[in-house]
Amino acid sequence: MEYFLLIIAAIFVNNIVLAQYLGNCPFLGCSRATGTAVGMGGAVIFVVTLATAITWLVQKRLLEPMGLEYLQTIAFILVIAALVQFVEMFLKKVLPPLYRALGIFLPLITTNCAVLGIAIICQRKEYGLLKSVVFAAASAAGFMLALVLMAAIRERLDTARVPRALRGMPIGLILAGLMSLAFFAFSGMIA
Amino acid sequence: MREAARMIIVLSLIAGLSGLTLASLRQATGPLIEEQVLTYVQGPSLGQIFADTENNAVRDRKTFRPPGADRELTVFPARRQGRLVGVSFETSAKGYGGEIGVMVGFTMPEGKLAGIAITTMKETPGVGSRVAKHGFTTQFRGHGLDNLDLRSKGGDIDAVSGATISSTAATAAVKQAAQDFKAIREELAKAWPES
Amino acid sequence: MGATWKELTKGLWREIPPFRLVLGLCPTLAVTKTADNGLGMGLAVIFVLTLSNLAVSALRRLIPAKVRIACFIVIAATLVVGVELLMQAFAYPLYQRLGIFVPLIVVNCIILGRAEAFASRNPVHLSVADGLGMGLGFTLSLTLLGALREVLGYGTVFGLCLFGPGFKPFSFMIEAPGAFVCLGLVLAGMNALTNWQRKRQGLAAVEGPGHDCKSCGLCAADKK
Repeated sequence: MEYFLLIIAAIFVNNIVLAQYLGNCPFLGCSRATGTAVGMGGAVIFVVTLATAITWLVQKRLLEPMGLEYLQTIAFILVIAALVQFVEMFLKKVLPPLYRALGIFLPLITTNCAVLGIAIICQRKEYGLLKSVVFAAASAAGFMLALVLMAAIRERLDTARVPRALRGMPIGLILAGLMSLAFFAFSGMIA
Repeated sequence: MREAARMIIVLSLIAGLSGLTLASLRQATGPLIEEQVLTYVQGPSLGQIFADTENNAVRDRKTFRPPGADRELTVFPARRQGRLVGVSFETSAKGYGGEIGVMVGFTMPEGKLAGIAITTMKETPGVGSRVAKHGFTTQFRGHGLDNLDLRSKGGDIDAVSGATISSTAATAAVKQAAQDFKAIREELAKAWPES
Repeated sequence: MGATWKELTKGLWREIPPFRLVLGLCPTLAVTKTADNGLGMGLAVIFVLTLSNLAVSALRRLIPAKVRIACFIVIAATLVVGVELLMQAFAYPLYQRLGIFVPLIVVNCIILGRAEAFASRNPVHLSVADGLGMGLGFTLSLTLLGALREVLGYGTVFGLCLFGPGFKPFSFMIEAPGAFVCLGLVLAGMNALTNWQRKRQGLAAVEGPGHDCKSCGLCAADKK
């Protein structure tokens, strides 16, 4: 039950993009087509889950015993950058079909603040390893949900007549605001 | 080969330089950060326990070691008209969703509880955080050093209904503090001479 | 001198981030609940951006092309940890309010984007001017956006009460949906202004900045 609530809260109530303001660059940048959005979302779920598990171990087994907690940011970003490189090489060699699907999104993930953000949130909330991993996967799923929804709306938007000043970014942001408002309604669900 | 060697040298040079800079910056800011954390994290709860004191409790803090314990207590004094009227320190116990920290104040020289305030609260929102509300914490005001248990365990503290685990944890933390206070009471009385 | 001045001022209007150069949206949306949060975030970004541009530019001949991104990340992360320590020591309440967005400066694309697109190709004085200008522009935008949301959402600016007690705060503005809509409308306003100016000069209207990773430099470099 505890984990069920955690998952629902991470996907809907505290949606990482629409309520916590993380990962907005790919949310607004890579949401032109539903296919791209699914690919990007899949890559993010994969990397976020792995990165949170590894950074959790780095924090508890390496930084805290040595009294180096203040180096958290630098340690985490290096772990994430190295992990993304490694995943890219691994997929290229071992699973070429998956690499073809996700490969082009991987380099963009290092600078996706959702990855580092989720890893740090897990530490600040003092979650255990399992809870961190579940939270990370659920949050990333929330990211994918928002991304796919946004892409679906944008595909419709291509045929709509948008005032010139609003074209491009502005209408994207306003759409995001409306989606965020809709997701805001979930916050009553879990007290 | 030369290219690879150069990459490794440059990277380790930059990493080494960054480590050195940060280590020295950490050294320089360490005491300042500690003071800021105490002022902004513990400070507000100190104000709740002892109002209208005339000293800076964070600056005047001292550390004590209760006999037989391997932990240190940072004790914050409260002074009025130059005299020590009370001390506060923080203890913690395991709650529902992590540690509950409780700042516990004692009057000096009477040695009664002056009040408590919850400092760190990672409990389920809405449930556990009810112990931080007024009704629960005011029970401790003026309480003696004994009988610090919930009614269900033979003491005289009322638990917050629906938040038994958090109430138990907060009470256990207060009880621990009372024991620590008894152990170092003599030392405390001498630590801040009249001015 | 003229060139340095040009690099410094371009960040203040022509390429002002995040309005014209759409970079670093997450902190823009997250910390602009009030004007002083926006200002504080902006100052932290100025510090990191200027010094990171300085370091990257000074080391640009030394850093091998293959590991340059790794080097940029190490430099940026070091500066961010430095900012975290300084903020904790001197501005703890601000550090608490900005929360995880202080460590997240390291993945703000504005830092790595400027390192890759500008500092690694230009001499030190121009890079510092670019970093300072972009940082100032970012601070200006965040403070303005923060002030706008604070006025509407709380009826205050920098904590000063503007209206009488009869004012009913429009609390939508300080929540997440308000952040998106507000930024969207400001960007639309910038577009309208540009086109109005162009029309007066007799030029054809243009569309505002899109958001693809071209503006981020880093991603563009990776695609090569």
